[in-house]
Amino acid sequence: MERDEFTLVRDMLRAFATRFRSGSADDVKAQTRTDAQRALDELGLSGLRRTSPPAATVQECALLAEEHGRQPLTTSLLGTALLAPELLRLLDLGERAEPVHGDRPTVALAGDLRFPDRDAVGLVAWDCDGADTALFVHAEGRVTEHELGAPAPTADLLRGVRRASAEGRPVGRLTPGAHQCWQAYALVVVASELVGAARSFVGQSVDYARERHQYGQPIGSFQAVQHQLADATVLVEACTSATRYAAWCLDSETPGRALTAARVAKAEVNSAAVEAVYAGMQVFGGIAQTWEHVAHLYLRRVLVGAAVLATTADLLTVLAAPEATR
Amino acid sequence: MTDTPLDFGDPEDLERLRHDFRAWLAGHPLPERPPGEPLPVFLHRWHRRLYSGGWVGLDVPEQYGGRGLTALHQVTVSDELGARGAPGVPRIGYLAHALLRFGSEEQRRRLLPRMLSGDDVWCQGFSEPGAGSDLAGMSTYAERRPEGHYIVNGQKLWTSYAQYSGLCLLLARTDRAAPAHASISAFVLPLDRPGVTVRPLRAANGDDEFCELFLDDVRLEESERIGAEGDGWPLAMTTVAYERNALDTGHLSKYGLLIERLRRAAHERRGTLPDGLLSDIGRCAVDYQVLVAHARRRTAERLAGQSAGPESSVDKLLMTRAEQRLYETALRVFPEELYGEGGEVLGDYFYSRAASVYGGTSQIQRNIIAKRLLGLPVGPRA
Repeated sequence: MERDEFTLVRDMLRAFATRFRSGSADDVKAQTRTDAQRALDELGLSGLRRTSPPAATVQECALLAEEHGRQPLTTSLLGTALLAPELLRLLDLGERAEPVHGDRPTVALAGDLRFPDRDAVGLVAWDCDGADTALFVHAEGRVTEHELGAPAPTADLLRGVRRASAEGRPVGRLTPGAHQCWQAYALVVVASELVGAARSFVGQSVDYARERHQYGQPIGSFQAVQHQLADATVLVEACTSATRYAAWCLDSETPGRALTAARVAKAEVNSAAVEAVYAGMQVFGGIAQTWEHVAHLYLRRVLVGAAVLATTADLLTVLAAPEATR
Repeated sequence: MTDTPLDFGDPEDLERLRHDFRAWLAGHPLPERPPGEPLPVFLHRWHRRLYSGGWVGLDVPEQYGGRGLTALHQVTVSDELGARGAPGVPRIGYLAHALLRFGSEEQRRRLLPRMLSGDDVWCQGFSEPGAGSDLAGMSTYAERRPEGHYIVNGQKLWTSYAQYSGLCLLLARTDRAAPAHASISAFVLPLDRPGVTVRPLRAANGDDEFCELFLDDVRLEESERIGAEGDGWPLAMTTVAYERNALDTGHLSKYGLLIERLRRAAHERRGTLPDGLLSDIGRCAVDYQVLVAHARRRTAERLAGQSAGPESSVDKLLMTRAEQRLYETALRVFPEELYGEGGEVLGDYFYSRAASVYGGTSQIQRNIIAKRLLGLPVGPRA
């Protein structure tokens, strides 16, 4: 996309997010979810990665995912607008066997929300607001389409997750290169949303530190608070750099290099985003521990997000292997 | 910070450069380091050899002896050196940037080509016994005489490899009354000037990298001042901003190499590693690659027109995190260095403890982030 065009799309998403953000956990209701999803769908973002060549770069999509993460939103930008269309695109480049029946697929993950191993059980349709079906990539690259079932519980109150049928209809297979791209893309997009969440929440806690007075002065003037916010900023910058660079690698480098960069990004985000939100909650103090405050919506998002696709333990083991053996 | 797409460089163009550099390296192997040759002497020979191939100052304009390419090209060369286990590119990037920005045209034309070629070896005279991270406490004084020259008196500390250097980028106060940010000036000090005494200082790792510098009635000409009187503070800020980016210091390749060594050691000893050590190695790999990504993002932002500023404190803290965790882990992978004769890892481990002190302590970096990046209010010093 041209720079101007991207800025326009980003600003559109920003305006949408400001309008439909949940002010507290009590705002998360069925009707508001449906309204928000309809409004997001009207932005037409699902076409960004559906064509070959795609209308938007991965770097651009990652920035949009960051933007989406900044506000507490119930909408499925990741599952239905970014991930499933990219999967269909990669499938078209590989071995597409059968058409997909659903109009608006999302993606299915193993029951523990990770990339599946060979005997994944209890599939769930992840990030499924507005979705009518779910696509599942098996460990060896086979892709199947699954029916959506009852809502599945999740600690992330914003994210729509439903059970998915155990049996799926085969729709094709990803080539090994496309499979690497898929995993890298999914890691980058999910990580980017968490980066947006962490950055935004730390920003809110910085603003709060300026306003909140104790002992007759703003708490942000105390060095102990300043250092905590400085450390949180370092974490946010680190995970921003890692995800943006990984996104660029997907646009410009080999699938193998892109997957390594994406794994690094997710590993950094898994720990950094959670730590940064902890720091912000400490600065907010008591108010952040209440149901009414948005803090726990952010914490829930990054906490569950750190377990989605690949946990820190999964990633560190892979990244500890010598280059030559990978 | 930008929230539009960044240009991390043209992979094909950089790949071509990498290819050319590899071809050159194949014909110009690393020189041997004879036993007893001091590290800076060895590194200086390597510097000259790299320069002869055109691999120093890639991002410095051609009229000053560089190649007029971008910082991303310099990064690629640095990467490749690390991958080959070769010492990094000479650490002159931060000095070159300070001269490019503050030096007169005459100084740039005279000093930069000799700096890049290694004809002049530079050190940095910023810190003092009474003023480490706090430059405002600087007491070295350059008194301007009516004839136009300066007479300098004072003492500098932590001047790396001054005993092997010919020139020093010296900061001295030129006005005792004005506040620090307006009263410090920068000079090029030839270390053989009468009145200069260099005394090496032995560090915890046994090396004599650090020196003390004593200045007794040292005469400096007006033409040896860099920039105007009072430009010393912004010059120092520019210098340290560049010095805090892992790319400019050339540390990245050194870390990358050690990580691959740790990975291989872990791979060979599979199953016999203490609990958690494998994931600690993975964590070091993540720290390192995050640092690479971060340094590239900074470089891309700079190429997009942002100058180096207070965000370099983030860079420094990230570099410190990566370095200290890496050498702590390395000592656990090679514990024999603790109960044996010691070795390179133990030496570098000691050096890594200084990472949170040199170039401005970690606490100073946090203060800079809080005040200048986040705009938090000034408060009580407690």
